[in-house]
Amino acid sequence: MSTLTREEFLRRAAAGGAALAVPGALAAVARGAAPDPKKLRGKTLVFSNWPLYIDVKNHRHPSLDQFTKRYGVKVKYIEDINDNSSFFGKIQAQLRRGQSIGRDIIVMTDNSPYPALLVQNRWVEKLDKSVLPNLKNLQPGLAHPSWDPNRDYSLPWQSGMTGIGYNAKLTKPITSVDQLFTDKRITGKVTLLNEMADSIGLTMLSNGDDPGKVDDASFNRALAKIQKAVKSGQIRQFTGNDYAGLMAKGDVWAAFVWSGDMVQLHADNKNLTFLLPKTGGMIWTDNMLIPKHGDAYLASVYMNYVYDPKVAAEIEDSVNYICPVKGADKVLLASDPAVARNTLIFPTDAMRRRLHQFDPKALFNPDYKTKWQKLLGA
Amino acid sequence: MSVAAETLAVRARPGAALRAWTFARRHLLTLYALLAFGYLLLPVAVVVLFSFNHPRGRFNYTWEGFTWSNWTNWDAVPGLKPALQTSLEVAAIASIAATVLGTLIALALVRYRFRGRAATNVLIFLPMSSPEIVLGASLLTLFLSLNVALGFWTIVIAHVMFCISYVVVTVKARLIGFDRHLEEAAMDLGANEWVTFVRVTLPLIAPAILAALLLSFALSIDDFVITNFNAGQTVTFPLFVWGAARAAVPPQINVVGSAIFAIAIAVMLANVLVQMRRSRAR
Amino acid sequence: MAFIHRHRWLTPYLLLLPGLAWLVLFFVVPLGFLGHQSLEVQNPIDLSYTFKWAWHNYSDAITTFNPQLVRSLEYAAIATALALVVSYPLAYWIAFRGGRWKNVLLIIIVGPFFVTYLIRTLAWETILSDQGIVVRTLQHVGILGPDGRLLATSVAVVAGITYNFLPFMALPLYVSLEQIDGRLLEAAEDLYASRAVAFLRVTLPLSVPGVVAGTLLTFIPAAGDFINAQLLGTPQQYMIGNVINSRFNELQDYPAAAAISFVLMAAILGLVAIYARALGTEKLTG
Repeated sequence: MSTLTREEFLRRAAAGGAALAVPGALAAVARGAAPDPKKLRGKTLVFSNWPLYIDVKNHRHPSLDQFTKRYGVKVKYIEDINDNSSFFGKIQAQLRRGQSIGRDIIVMTDNSPYPALLVQNRWVEKLDKSVLPNLKNLQPGLAHPSWDPNRDYSLPWQSGMTGIGYNAKLTKPITSVDQLFTDKRITGKVTLLNEMADSIGLTMLSNGDDPGKVDDASFNRALAKIQKAVKSGQIRQFTGNDYAGLMAKGDVWAAFVWSGDMVQLHADNKNLTFLLPKTGGMIWTDNMLIPKHGDAYLASVYMNYVYDPKVAAEIEDSVNYICPVKGADKVLLASDPAVARNTLIFPTDAMRRRLHQFDPKALFNPDYKTKWQKLLGA
Repeated sequence: MSVAAETLAVRARPGAALRAWTFARRHLLTLYALLAFGYLLLPVAVVVLFSFNHPRGRFNYTWEGFTWSNWTNWDAVPGLKPALQTSLEVAAIASIAATVLGTLIALALVRYRFRGRAATNVLIFLPMSSPEIVLGASLLTLFLSLNVALGFWTIVIAHVMFCISYVVVTVKARLIGFDRHLEEAAMDLGANEWVTFVRVTLPLIAPAILAALLLSFALSIDDFVITNFNAGQTVTFPLFVWGAARAAVPPQINVVGSAIFAIAIAVMLANVLVQMRRSRAR
Repeated sequence: MAFIHRHRWLTPYLLLLPGLAWLVLFFVVPLGFLGHQSLEVQNPIDLSYTFKWAWHNYSDAITTFNPQLVRSLEYAAIATALALVVSYPLAYWIAFRGGRWKNVLLIIIVGPFFVTYLIRTLAWETILSDQGIVVRTLQHVGILGPDGRLLATSVAVVAGITYNFLPFMALPLYVSLEQIDGRLLEAAEDLYASRAVAFLRVTLPLSVPGVVAGTLLTFIPAAGDFINAQLLGTPQQYMIGNVINSRFNELQDYPAAAAISFVLMAAILGLVAIYARALGTEKLTG
């Protein structure tokens, strides 16, 4: 599965295969691309990520420790990204002035405008594909995003689904977005996500509109629906990932949630359940990016390490979002079959057909942004 | 009740209900004070209590069981210890700087007549009376426009800025009530101004300076809003709590919160008890 | 030293210089920069700013965020009044009945202030939780309906603001009450004033400086607060502080944020000026 077949190579080359950066990658695949120890000696990789987004055991991160052992590179892992916009707000001033932000890898979500902004303004370094043979393990569906068609600047870290989560002990199952908005039994116990792409996207789907192609009419329809639910007191709050605490506390009974959170929460509280609405859910991807003046070589070596199915499996065992690395599920079948068979982590094709990405152009529309912020009350 | 009426009531040996009512009325204020203290301390009690909680999941909202392990492993949460360290360092530097600068201003304001005294008073008053969000945001604008890298020192600068006013107010209050005769006596006995200042004035206003130092330290270590704007990617303890509150609230946060509270109370109590002993000795 | 002797008049200015320089550099000047930024316009593509005398930022701020602005002033006023009502008897009790233990009792007022602001507010989230004792008792007693809640309502937000700024009200009240000479009250009683009258005619008027100081130190920061609204409220309770915060930190729309900040300050200064006119300005800055 992970070897490059002749057909695949020809197909990609025919498709204008700059995707492979042909000579380098091919040679690298053939050679096995061992990184140059001289370039790694004494270095530290500074990696900013979202909280609870990597494997953890006894307060240590085994995959990072292993990386240090294998390559002699220390890793400074900082969980300081809680929000795409506030993190971007913190780094944008320095990036605009061409200054380093002291990070080699940062992780941003593609349902926010920031990955596209970073690439567009060339505030990120190019990946060093000469040390990235494992690039071939990237799930094909994720290989050509519109904002980085050749994956020159980014690699997915995890993907996730946005759907409905509910507490089975406190409420009957909530099976549709419409029910979430109108069921009187859960009035005041519902939260939505403050990410426009997530909440508007799911609502558009419930209206029968396509979130991949947003126009004023479909946007306003979704906005109006949410507004009505807010006015009626159905919606309690708009949250980031702090809905998890509210659900755990029992203050919130149903919400728009992220799949990985629900898997983790389910482990502690069997009543918390994730549901992909019949009308469809949203899929988004968190991407590793190398900010300007970050060490591209070092970062690329790390990314290559993480795209080894064995390492990806290890991380996936803890993180429980959707793995972008092919072959990780096969590794997990042997060591942790429950995770391998969990369709929230490895969705079936039927599920994937019901998952939609948000229209990237709509993310940049200032009118939409303003209207959304107004709804959020700020 | 007037004295006469009270005496009459006592002589008539009133029933238990009336006595209870009289007791309540007389001690109404005390009862109220106790209730108010309870209200003030309620969240603190919850914080301390939940620092001993043994939560099953990521959140510390429901009581699961008692454990000492949060206290013994208080630095097990990654990022907590460095954040706390940063907060303590910032608070130490900022409070000392603010106290020095503020005390000098207070001395000038109380002891001397000079042009612009009223304007200075207003300037001191303004930072205390501006919303924190405006203070933080305007400083951020300054730093960004001047291309200053955000981090530890910008936080220190911000903290010194908003603490100075509080120091001035605290020290001024003590200076105003200060008995100048003691200084005059010292000078009559031959001491020059400098010696008088160091050997007479300074020791007598020391409690106020110390109070101002503690107040600045407290304000600095607790500050979230202004720090949030000016920290760049440096993390102080309040910033750490804010981030943690979104994802998972480890009990260790309660541990550190309780510890800071306990130490502060202990320091203040010690200060007060020392002063009480000193005044009794006099 | 001799130089200073000869130029005695310099002394106060030398004493003032370092501190005032700091305040001017890091308080006054930044406000100037903020003002400059409020007249800029942001380029949505590369997020740079151009100065354009964009006065519309101000008019936009006032028209769009009028509800949040008014709400902030309302909440701050209610919280200040509540803080006054709660703190006054407490400060009175400590000042007049505290005896030797006055300073120890003050520690209890100031103490909770030492638990990090955010942790205290999170504790209120636990205490006022829908499934918690407080809400269930209130539902049982009938004050709250069967579906009633405290969190995510304006009650919780105002209660949170009141609680967090209580020391700012209590301490100035205490200071002015404590300074009242007991002999004045004795004199009043000698003149056949009842305790209530003595309080109303002697104590209360003498404590006015404390009331003024406390009200200002509570109202002004409360009007700009956003944490209580964010953690304990819904978007219907969001205050102008939330708007400013999201403009700065979420949307990076610095010009709008700057304009809104000045509008807030103007509103506060306006109210304070009215307040001061009613009382006399000396009481304000002492």
